[in-house]
Amino acid sequence: MVKAYIGIDVGSVSTNIIALDEDNEVLFKLYERTNGQPLETIKKGLKKLRDELGKNIIVSGVGTTGSGRQLAGVMIGADIIKNEITAHAVATVHYVPDVRTIFEIGGQDSKIILIKDQMVVDFAMNTVCAAGTGSFLDHQAERLGIPIEEFGKLALTSKNDVRIAGRCTVFAESDMIAKQQYGFSKADIIKGLCNALVRNYINNLGRGKKLEPPYVFQGGVAANIGIKAAFEREVGHEVIVPKYYNVMGAIGAALLAKEAVKEKGKTNFRGFDSLKTNFVPSSFICTGCSNMCEVIKVEMDGTPIAMWGDRCGMWTEKVKQAM
Amino acid sequence: MKVGIPKALLYYYYGPFWEILFEELGMEVVVSDDTNKKLINEGIKASVPEICVPIKIFIGHSIDLAKKNVDYIFVPRMVSIYKGEVFCPKFMGLPDMIRHGVEGMEDKILTCHIKSKNDDISDYRNYIDVAEKLKISHDKLKKACEVASEKWYRFREYNKKGHHILEAIDMVNNDIKLESIKKYDNDVKLGVLGYVYNMYDGFVNMNVIDKLKDLNVDFVTFDMLDENELRKYIDDMDKVLFWTFSNKLLGAGYKFFRENEVDGVIHITAFGCGPDSFLGKLFEIESDDTKVPFMTIRVDEHTGENHLQTRIEAFVDMIRRKKAKAVMGG
Repeated sequence: MVKAYIGIDVGSVSTNIIALDEDNEVLFKLYERTNGQPLETIKKGLKKLRDELGKNIIVSGVGTTGSGRQLAGVMIGADIIKNEITAHAVATVHYVPDVRTIFEIGGQDSKIILIKDQMVVDFAMNTVCAAGTGSFLDHQAERLGIPIEEFGKLALTSKNDVRIAGRCTVFAESDMIAKQQYGFSKADIIKGLCNALVRNYINNLGRGKKLEPPYVFQGGVAANIGIKAAFEREVGHEVIVPKYYNVMGAIGAALLAKEAVKEKGKTNFRGFDSLKTNFVPSSFICTGCSNMCEVIKVEMDGTPIAMWGDRCGMWTEKVKQAM
Repeated sequence: MKVGIPKALLYYYYGPFWEILFEELGMEVVVSDDTNKKLINEGIKASVPEICVPIKIFIGHSIDLAKKNVDYIFVPRMVSIYKGEVFCPKFMGLPDMIRHGVEGMEDKILTCHIKSKNDDISDYRNYIDVAEKLKISHDKLKKACEVASEKWYRFREYNKKGHHILEAIDMVNNDIKLESIKKYDNDVKLGVLGYVYNMYDGFVNMNVIDKLKDLNVDFVTFDMLDENELRKYIDDMDKVLFWTFSNKLLGAGYKFFRENEVDGVIHITAFGCGPDSFLGKLFEIESDDTKVPFMTIRVDEHTGENHLQTRIEAFVDMIRRKKAKAVMGG
């Protein structure tokens, strides 16, 4: 039996689950599409973890991160619920201690994190525009009839520079069609697309920031060697893609959970059996004042166990007191 | 007669003075509601689109007061409170902007020129235009200014002893006696820099003060510092900024960065603020020089709360983690 620390990153596109041992080695790794059902995805993922490792491990700490971190944290009894900036940075610093710049591109959002002396000194997040994210690439790969896995490799074979407008997915697409009609090869166009995506990312998120090496590139899109090469061209320097590039948030959450448990002595983990409990999330518009907050409520077997989203904190407090 | 005071812009600095002033003049004083979604939406609708959100909020508060059937809405023309410096043009043009830009306001605006050598704007001559419109004698005005001034100084005294402005206003209004200087006992102390109307309007900044409290973080602000301290680090500059409150923030920022008394500095700024484009850059340079972490929080009417929560959490987290590491000798 070994001690294991679980990290869960609940994002809009994927839900990632990681188990680390006492020496921070990865025992279990799962990258699963969320498909708009975070609760079900977490349950399924944890069941898999239990089936694979269940008899050999003692869960000694659990951490959650990502946009669904509150919900996941309440559900399984997390020792720590952390924002994704900290979680990503902690994991990256663990693997690349002297990192200065982290490029993180996920399915629907992207961030840039600047680090100095292993500390986050600045960061930016893109939350509205999808032009620089994974779903944009997915879409274009499909349109060109190239499996997304081949996308990056093909870009590397190109010898020509084609400039594709990267400001917006819509313009990028019409520009690509035009360039195809001029007779550029698919490889050239894909390379142009990779450059456009990186240019757009740097313009949006890196504006006014001094980006210094070592650079680390992570998130689901880091699988794409074409984008990696485009980043290297843009910054004029080697860009490191860590081994567990697509689950770094979950690894960070696990590392943070380990730390948190060390401090307080025991874990709040509800146990795998708790997954059978019936959790029901719902939301309502509070009409208490003219702010009209959307309040999220999670019920466990009919009893509210967590509420958030209220600006005044009235509902949040009520549940806390009742617990 | 009912006089309305918008709970916006410099209300968070001079409110304690203006409220007493009008009460002493025999007016029924109506203060607008706390900023809320409805009020801000009405302000946005009535404003020119490109103006900053604090002004839109002020206009929303003015509309709120008009609905409360006040006879007048007090909108002073803030010109100068320091020799050679002025206010942002939007402050100087505020009465005109509302009188001519917002429907139904023409006869409601009660205004006057505020010009002063320092923060103390209690000189009765500043308010002569108001007294004349309200048909009040100069003697009565003089007396009212004296009474209001006494209260304002008390408010500033509490504020300078480490209680933030909302606490200080509360203490003065409820006649709470001040025992001593506020003590800080959390492990993290931040300098938070922002104009009073961005810093203390919990709606526009999504309760930054509460969020810091929830994270067990202490903070100091420019308004807690004495004028001498604020000017200490900018006096030797070749040229300061044009705007007094920007200079106050700059002086406070330089002090926070250079005297090594805070673990990090947060600048809260409204999207599109001209003066803050200078300030922000100066703070950035200072942060690079002193190695004190710095973060900008930009607020406007579309700010997402999750995003803000994540940013503040991440900033405080990293300070704590760095400290823990230093303790362990890592």
